[in-house]
Amino acid sequence: MTERLRDIVRRISRPPSNSTRLINYYWQRTRRNKLAIFGLTFIIFLVLLAVVGPFFTLDPTLVDFENKNLPPVGFTIEQSVYNTETDDFITTKVSGTWNHPLGTDSKGRDMLAMLISGARVSMLVGLIATGIAIILGTIIGVLSAYLGGWVDNVLMRLTDIMMTFPFFILLVLIVFIFGPSLVIIVLAIGLTGWTGTARLLRSEALSLRTREFITAAKAMGASDNRVIFRHLIPNVISLIIVIATLAIPGVILAEAALSFIGLGDPTVPSWGIILEAGQNSLRTAWWVAVEPGIMIFLTVLAFNFLGDGLRDAFDPKSNI
Amino acid sequence: MKHMLNHKLLKIRNLKKYYPVTAGLFSRHVGDIKAVDGVTFDISEKEIIGLVGESGCGKSTLGKTIPRLEEPTSGEILYKGTDVAKLDKKGLRELRREIQIIFQDPDASLDPRMTVGDSICEPLIIHNIGDEKKRMERVVELMEQVGLEATQANLYPHEFSGGQKQRIGIARALAMNPKLIIADEPVSALDVSIQAQILNLMMDIQERLGLAYLFIAHDLSVIKHMAHRIAVMYLGKIVELADKRETFDNPLHPYTEALLSAAPSFKSKDKDRILLRGDVPSPLNPPAGCHFHPRCHRVLPICNQQEPELAEISEGHFAACHLYKSL
Amino acid sequence: MDNVSLKVSNLRTHFLTRRGIVKAVDGVDFELRRGECLCLVGESGCGKTVTALSILRLFDSPPGKIVGGQISYDGLDLAKCSLRQLRQIRGKDIAIVFQEAQSALNPVLTIGDQIIEQIKLHLPLDYSMARDRTISLLSEMGIPSAKRVLSYYPHQLSGGMKQRVLIAMSLSCDPQILIADEPTTAVDVTIKAQILDIFHELKASRQLSTIFITHDLAVVAEIGDRAVIMYGGKDVETAPVSEIINNPKHPYTSGLIECLPDVSKTADRLASIPGTTPNPIEMPKGCAFHPRCPKAMKICKQQEPPEIITSKEHKVSCHLYT
Repeated sequence: MTERLRDIVRRISRPPSNSTRLINYYWQRTRRNKLAIFGLTFIIFLVLLAVVGPFFTLDPTLVDFENKNLPPVGFTIEQSVYNTETDDFITTKVSGTWNHPLGTDSKGRDMLAMLISGARVSMLVGLIATGIAIILGTIIGVLSAYLGGWVDNVLMRLTDIMMTFPFFILLVLIVFIFGPSLVIIVLAIGLTGWTGTARLLRSEALSLRTREFITAAKAMGASDNRVIFRHLIPNVISLIIVIATLAIPGVILAEAALSFIGLGDPTVPSWGIILEAGQNSLRTAWWVAVEPGIMIFLTVLAFNFLGDGLRDAFDPKSNI
Repeated sequence: MKHMLNHKLLKIRNLKKYYPVTAGLFSRHVGDIKAVDGVTFDISEKEIIGLVGESGCGKSTLGKTIPRLEEPTSGEILYKGTDVAKLDKKGLRELRREIQIIFQDPDASLDPRMTVGDSICEPLIIHNIGDEKKRMERVVELMEQVGLEATQANLYPHEFSGGQKQRIGIARALAMNPKLIIADEPVSALDVSIQAQILNLMMDIQERLGLAYLFIAHDLSVIKHMAHRIAVMYLGKIVELADKRETFDNPLHPYTEALLSAAPSFKSKDKDRILLRGDVPSPLNPPAGCHFHPRCHRVLPICNQQEPELAEISEGHFAACHLYKSL
Repeated sequence: MDNVSLKVSNLRTHFLTRRGIVKAVDGVDFELRRGECLCLVGESGCGKTVTALSILRLFDSPPGKIVGGQISYDGLDLAKCSLRQLRQIRGKDIAIVFQEAQSALNPVLTIGDQIIEQIKLHLPLDYSMARDRTISLLSEMGIPSAKRVLSYYPHQLSGGMKQRVLIAMSLSCDPQILIADEPTTAVDVTIKAQILDIFHELKASRQLSTIFITHDLAVVAEIGDRAVIMYGGKDVETAPVSEIINNPKHPYTSGLIECLPDVSKTADRLASIPGTTPNPIEMPKGCAFHPRCPKAMKICKQQEPPEIITSKEHKVSCHLYT
């Protein structure tokens, strides 16, 4: 082998960041969407908060009746306090303190600490449940499209049946039967939420299957495994990412909704649980319900913005 | 006829590929699309056979049926004496080492998420040939063979022009040292000035490596520069098969005549063109008798009743037409 | 000049994309004379289709924009006139036939409805008159049993038939100018011959001025009167078709002719133009063709060639003739 040949081989055998280059390309495209960048920033912030936040905040379970229903910093409210000596209610002015920057709830627990640990729960639920749903949906959708025939028929009728149940009712039913624990909630969402993904991936894989590069791979003698994992899946990855990003807020909302109607895991303070607890004291302590509400709202919005941005970035036809 | 003396590489006997057409709730079988309907021909080693016909005549299906990308309905495909239709999974993998395909649309036949180096390398990985380093060397060798810079191996298909992509497709087809390449309209998606480059490249490679080609095209002018023999297909059947020179100088079948006269040529501007009436009929419901008779300019009374057989009219020159029956 | 029906001068249409300005058309000049068939010839990306679309401003804007030049038609500058004026002209005075017959017809309307609607939009005719006109147009296009075809949906017609329907549709309002964008590219050779035949007959019977866009010089030879060869967004050679074929001046034109696979050629190897068509974002400096040109000189890399009139009807942009 000549020196020149050896040099070329050396240069191309070390892929100079092959995949990085592709990721960079999509990053450049995503970056142009300001809302998507806002969404991404917020999500990164939230993840950081959920991971390292608990080390810096108070214990979210610490009950402190001395300081119950404290408003957030900068707010002052009038509070009626029962005075045991006069056997009467007196109205005092209460202001937020920096000890509890976002106030406290009716048991005096620190709202900031609770929201941060709630972020942890909501993100975990969102990511794991979505992960289960997406993986199931991808396997079912791609297998269905690639194998066709009776496999396709069975899997798609199963999907149809799943889809005839209203998602939320099914969820309520499962959680009601098996009891409201976080594991059950995550599993229930994951095991019922894959139908849409399966449908979308099946249609995508169906159109990919007839593309010539798939035929070309088969003509080279590639096995079904290789065609599916080297050619089909890499070409639907972008779709999967987009579906996942857009599915996460739905899952977070579902968990919140379950908690709100009293089917949440009472031992774990998710945003939904906090929100549910706060609804009783909307009159006296509005922030207990409003703060987790804002967090859910912003998180859902952030994921949706990011999902939209990614979809446009991955779409080769969109001219951005 | 020096090509006739060579060993036969591929023998195709009465090959049929029907696509069933179903209707209604219970998928009642209502008919067949006879994409390939009884085709017989041979390809010798190092021979280039041109296969021409209009879209829908079944030429691409025929090309795909040979390495069993489409399962044949009936008939025999004998590759070096073994029947392809009876091969098991392992045998089929071996077959697909020796028969390669070059596709029409270089854009669609390369995986957009794979670097071109990986694409060229893929057959080597599938068939477990060499180690990582050996494969890389082979990729470099192949890319240079088809006139590409080997340093571009790390680029993605969308970074290449159409002609370059087709070169990549050719390199990939050559990776396994095949004996037969089925080229399915490899230049019809390319610009005129690029077509000539690719055709020349394919001819060089054929000469250097001693390959056999089944070269599929819809245009006789492209095939003229490549083929040793030419097969003309119409509605699933071969209607004429002859040496290239014979086909051009002495076409027997009226359909071949019409194709030749319709072929673009700006050197003979005012020639009398044989204008075919109408379109190619549906292969689901082909005309009775000779499928070509409704458009034929030399039609005989017998043509709408009896189907002509492909017969040897003169040495090595086959045609399926009633005009030559008395001969 | 009375016999000129459309004059395009120094037309420049650019597309502003994120990756840069695509100068799809960058200084094109030609005139279309009454009753002639003018061919715009070139490979993909040379700007021939954008030139045609610019005449009726049919490209997406943004990103597309006519940044300079004039398109004079009937005392009007189509490059600058209002969209309202342009809409009056589209379909009525200047009609266009697209390459993809498949997608140019609306799949949920019958053939009759589509053509009759077009006629009623521009001409003061009632339904039955418009219908009669449609039937006679379809028959003129060689469509058998035209009356029945009126009630067909596009998917019931073959590719060749659809192309004819499209031509009939474009002629429905008696346009002065017909622009045909590669009508023979996506069809089989035998259908191509039929469609060229129709254009021949139209020329004889209607005195229509046609701009015929194609990449196929054989088609040009068949139906063209004059041809404009385009490369890299510019017209590089303009001449009568017989001149183009027998006496090409520009090296690109002669290259194109050399490398055409042709049934009448006997050589085994084809001549070819090396290299690839240039990327419209990074056009080569000087003459856009110089990296592929066998006769390139030093000056070609530095300076854009001027337009040279070699004979009364023949002009070429190439340094070889300065």
